[in-house]
Amino acid sequence: MTSPERGGGTSPERSRGIDASFVSELRRLCGDDAVVTEPLELLTYECDGLPHLRHTPPVVVLPSSAEGVQAAVRLCHRRDVPFVARGHGSGLSGGALPIPGGLVIGLARLNRVLDVDIPNRRVTVEPGVTNLEITRRVAPHGFYYAPDPSSQQVCSIGGNVAENSGGAHCLKYGFTVHHVLGVEAVLSNGDLVQLDSAIADAPGPDLLGVLIGSEGTLAIVTKVTVKILRKPEAVQTLLAAYDNIPAAGTAVSEIIAAGIIPAAVEIMDGVSLVAIEAAVHPHFPPAEAILIVELDGPVAEVREQFAEVEKICHRAGATTVEVAQSEEHRARIWKGRKGAFASMGRVTPNYYVQDGVVPRTKLPEVLDRIRQLEARCGLRIGNVFHAGDGNLHPLICYDEKIPGQSDLAAQVGGEILQYCIDAGGSLTGEHGIGADKAEYMPKMFTDDDLDVMLAVRRAFDPKGLCNPGKVFPTPRLCGEVPGPYHAHPIEKAGLGERF
Amino acid sequence: MPVEDRRGGLSGPPGIDGVVPRETIEPPSADAVAAALASASKQRASVVIRGGGTKMGWGRTPASVDLVLSTKRLNALVAHEHADLTATVQAGARLDDVNRALGRHGQWLPIESAFDEATIGGAIATNDSGPLRHRYGTPRDLLIGIRVALTDGRLIKAGGNVVKNVAGYDLGKLISGSHGSLAAIVSATFKLSPQPGASSTLVASFDGADALTAALAAITSSQLEAAAIDVHAGPGPAEAGPHVSHVAGGPPAHEYVGAGFSRPSRLLLKFESTPGALQAHVRQARALAAGAMCEEVAGQSETDLWRAHMRRPWQSPGMIVKFAWMPASLGAVLALVEDVRASVTGIELSGRAAIGSGLLRVDADPRVQRNVVERLRSRTDVFRHVVVLRADTAVKQQLDVWGPLGDAGALGASVKHALDPQGILNAGRGPV
Repeated sequence: MTSPERGGGTSPERSRGIDASFVSELRRLCGDDAVVTEPLELLTYECDGLPHLRHTPPVVVLPSSAEGVQAAVRLCHRRDVPFVARGHGSGLSGGALPIPGGLVIGLARLNRVLDVDIPNRRVTVEPGVTNLEITRRVAPHGFYYAPDPSSQQVCSIGGNVAENSGGAHCLKYGFTVHHVLGVEAVLSNGDLVQLDSAIADAPGPDLLGVLIGSEGTLAIVTKVTVKILRKPEAVQTLLAAYDNIPAAGTAVSEIIAAGIIPAAVEIMDGVSLVAIEAAVHPHFPPAEAILIVELDGPVAEVREQFAEVEKICHRAGATTVEVAQSEEHRARIWKGRKGAFASMGRVTPNYYVQDGVVPRTKLPEVLDRIRQLEARCGLRIGNVFHAGDGNLHPLICYDEKIPGQSDLAAQVGGEILQYCIDAGGSLTGEHGIGADKAEYMPKMFTDDDLDVMLAVRRAFDPKGLCNPGKVFPTPRLCGEVPGPYHAHPIEKAGLGERF
Repeated sequence: MPVEDRRGGLSGPPGIDGVVPRETIEPPSADAVAAALASASKQRASVVIRGGGTKMGWGRTPASVDLVLSTKRLNALVAHEHADLTATVQAGARLDDVNRALGRHGQWLPIESAFDEATIGGAIATNDSGPLRHRYGTPRDLLIGIRVALTDGRLIKAGGNVVKNVAGYDLGKLISGSHGSLAAIVSATFKLSPQPGASSTLVASFDGADALTAALAAITSSQLEAAAIDVHAGPGPAEAGPHVSHVAGGPPAHEYVGAGFSRPSRLLLKFESTPGALQAHVRQARALAAGAMCEEVAGQSETDLWRAHMRRPWQSPGMIVKFAWMPASLGAVLALVEDVRASVTGIELSGRAAIGSGLLRVDADPRVQRNVVERLRSRTDVFRHVVVLRADTAVKQQLDVWGPLGDAGALGASVKHALDPQGILNAGRGPV
C-alpha cells in the first residue's frame, strides 16, 4: 500500500480510467462473480513473491475464459487503462505488481488441462494450470514436462511463459522457451491470436520466442501447448563435500571439461550449510562446500559417466563422496538443497536473496569479491548456486530491527549485481527483471539496446497498456532500491521455496 | 532447373531468381555494415543480406535488388570460452570453419547444413537445421546473445554471454527465422556442446509405411535417447540415377548406402554416447525396429551417410517444400508421398521423424508441384507451416512461398515496421 510511484510509469490521465462506470462495465462484461472490489480481498493481489513492492489494486478481474480476458482487455484499451496479468503470484521480481490506476487480470480460473496428446508428445493447458500438474497428467504414461522451477507445485504455466522459467535441470534441458510449441494470446487491443514457435516450425521471426520471457509486457497468454519428454531411464545423484568452495568449483570445471553435461550441478557454501543442517537435517557431512551432481539418461551411459564424475570429485579433493543409493536417499540430498533458502531463518532474522549470473569460469573470482564485500559490510552472506550455469543466489543476512541494516542489505545486493555485470554476466538468471531490477537494466544494456526492445514492445502494444513499468527503467520518482527479502505466504506455508 | 554447384549452393539463374543486384558490397566491420544500412535506408535502396550464398533462392522473387550486403569479411571466431562452453562468432564465419576451431577443445556448435558454405548468420536468419535437431534443437535454441545492425545505422545487442539469462527481451529469437528482413546479424554467441565420445547409426529399412511407423512408435516410446531419428522415403540412389549423374558437386550419394535403399522407406537412427554405452543403444534400437532390414554404419561411413542424406534432396532436381506435421501423423505423410508418386518423375521425403518436420522434394511439371503445395496446405489438421524453399520462378510466381502466416502475419509486419521502417531489408522476399 506504499510506494505507488514505483513500477507504475503510467500517466495521471490513464489513472482516471478506473472509475465506477469502468467497474460496472467490467461486471457487465465478465460477470459479477469475476470482479473483485472488496478491500480485504484486494489485499491478496497487492504483491507477488516479492512482497516489499506492493500496491493495492482498485479492482481485480478473474475471467474464466479467453473471451473474458479479451473483454477485460478491450475495455482497458478503450479507456486507456493499463493492466497486469497475474498467474499464481509466485514471481520473485514484482512482475505481477499491480500498476497504479490499473487493472489486475487474474488467470487462476483459467485452469483447465485442455488436451493431453501422448502420441504427439504435447499437452495444451490454460495459463492457470500449475507447472507440476502437467507432469502429473503425463507421468502415468512415462512422460514429464522438463522445466521445473522449485515453485513448480504452485507456479502457473502462464507465469512460466511470462518469466521463461527454468529450474535446477535447465543446464541440460533448457528453459520454458525450449518447450513451448504454441500459444493463444490476447494482445493489448483485445485481439486473440494464435502463435506457433520456431520449435513448431512457424516460418518468419520467432514472435513467440520473444513473447516468452517478456514478463507480461507484450500479451496475455490464454492457452499454452508444451512438449513433453520421455522420462530418462536412469537418474544418479551424488554429493561431494569439500573444505573450500574453489575445490568444489574445480570439480565442476573438470566435469564439464570431460564432456559431461549433468542434469544438475549445485553448490552450497558453509554459511548456508549451517542453516540447512539446522532446518531440514539432511545429514550432510561437515564441509565448507557441498557439491551435488545429478546425471540422467540411458542406464549404460549414466553408469559410465557417473563413475567418471565420482573420480573427478575425489581428485578435486573431496573429503567425502556420497552416492544416492535409493530414491529416498536422493530425495534427502535434494531436500537439503531445495530447503536452502527457507532454512536461512535459522541463522538470521532476515535475509535478502539475489539472482545474478556469471560465466562459470568467473565463479571463483566473483565469490572472492563477495567474500571481501562480506568482510567490508559486516553482513553474513551465504551462497547457494547453480554451478553448472553460473547462476548465483547470494543470501544476504541482516536484522531489520537494527537501524540501517535492511538498506545496507539492499545495497549489498546491488553491489553483487555489479560484480556479475563486471564479470560479463547477467542481472538475472531466472527471477526476472520485473519491477525489482528495472532500474539496473542500463548496467547491462545501452540506451540503444533498450530503445530497440521498446520499439518491439510498441509493435505488440502501441498504447503501452500491457504491464507498463516492468522490465524497462522508468525515471525514478523516489530513492528506492530493490529491497530486502520477506518470506512469501507460499513459502511460509511450506508450498514452495526460492531456488 | 537449378542444380548444386561446387560450393553447395545453387547455380541457377544469375542473381536472385534471375534478378541481378545493382551492387554488392563486403563491409569489413560491424560498424561498416551499420553505416551501409543507414546509407541504403536514406536512399530507400532494397538490401539483401548474403552469407555463404547457399540459400539465396529462398523467399519470394524480388522485383529488384539494389544492394547485396555480403558478410564475407566478418568471418572471425571472436571468442571461444571453452571452459564456459560458449563461443562468439561473426556472422560471415562458415559453420564448418567454426566447428573445426571449436573442435580443438573437443567442443562444437551442433548446427548442421546441407551446404558447405553455410554461415552462422545464414543459419540464424533461416533457423535452418539438420537431423541433429532431434537432440540439440535449431540455431535459435543454441543462441544466447546477438549483435545486429539496424537500418538506422545503430548496432545493438540482446542476450549476453551466459547460458542462463532472462534480462530484457530475447531479440535473438526474433531475428531467428527472420530471413534478413529485420536487421543484419553481425555476431552471435552460442552455447556449445562437447563432441560426443562415440557415435553410430542404424539404418532401418521398411517395406511399408505401417511397419515404419510402428517401429518409430516403439522407439520413441522407449527410453532410448537418440541424437537423430530421421525418416527418408522415396527413390533410392538407383531410381534417382539419371539425375544424380547431373550433380556437379560432391560424390554421389549411393556410395554410402547399403541394401536397405532398395526398400521404399527407412529410418536413420543416430546414437551418440560414451564408447562403453554406445552398443547397448544400437542393440536396443535393432530390437525395437521389428520387421526392418537393419544396417549399422559407423566411422567415416557414418559421417558420409549423414552428409549424403542431408544433401540428397538439394542435389536432385525439383521443388523443395519444408513442412511440419503432427509426429503421430507420419503415416499420413508417407501416404501422401505414395499417392503423389504415381504422377511425378521423382518424389522424396527427408525429415525429423520424431519431431514431425522435413523436406519434400517433388520433381514434376509446375502444375503438379503447385497442386502438392495446395494439398499440403489444405490439410491443416495434419500439416502445418508449408514453405516452398526451392522452386522455379514459374512455380514461385503462382503461389506464395511462405504460405499463410496467420496471426503472425500482422504482428510480424508491425515488428518489421518498428525495426525497418523504410522496408528495405529483403523487400518483397522475406516472410515479413
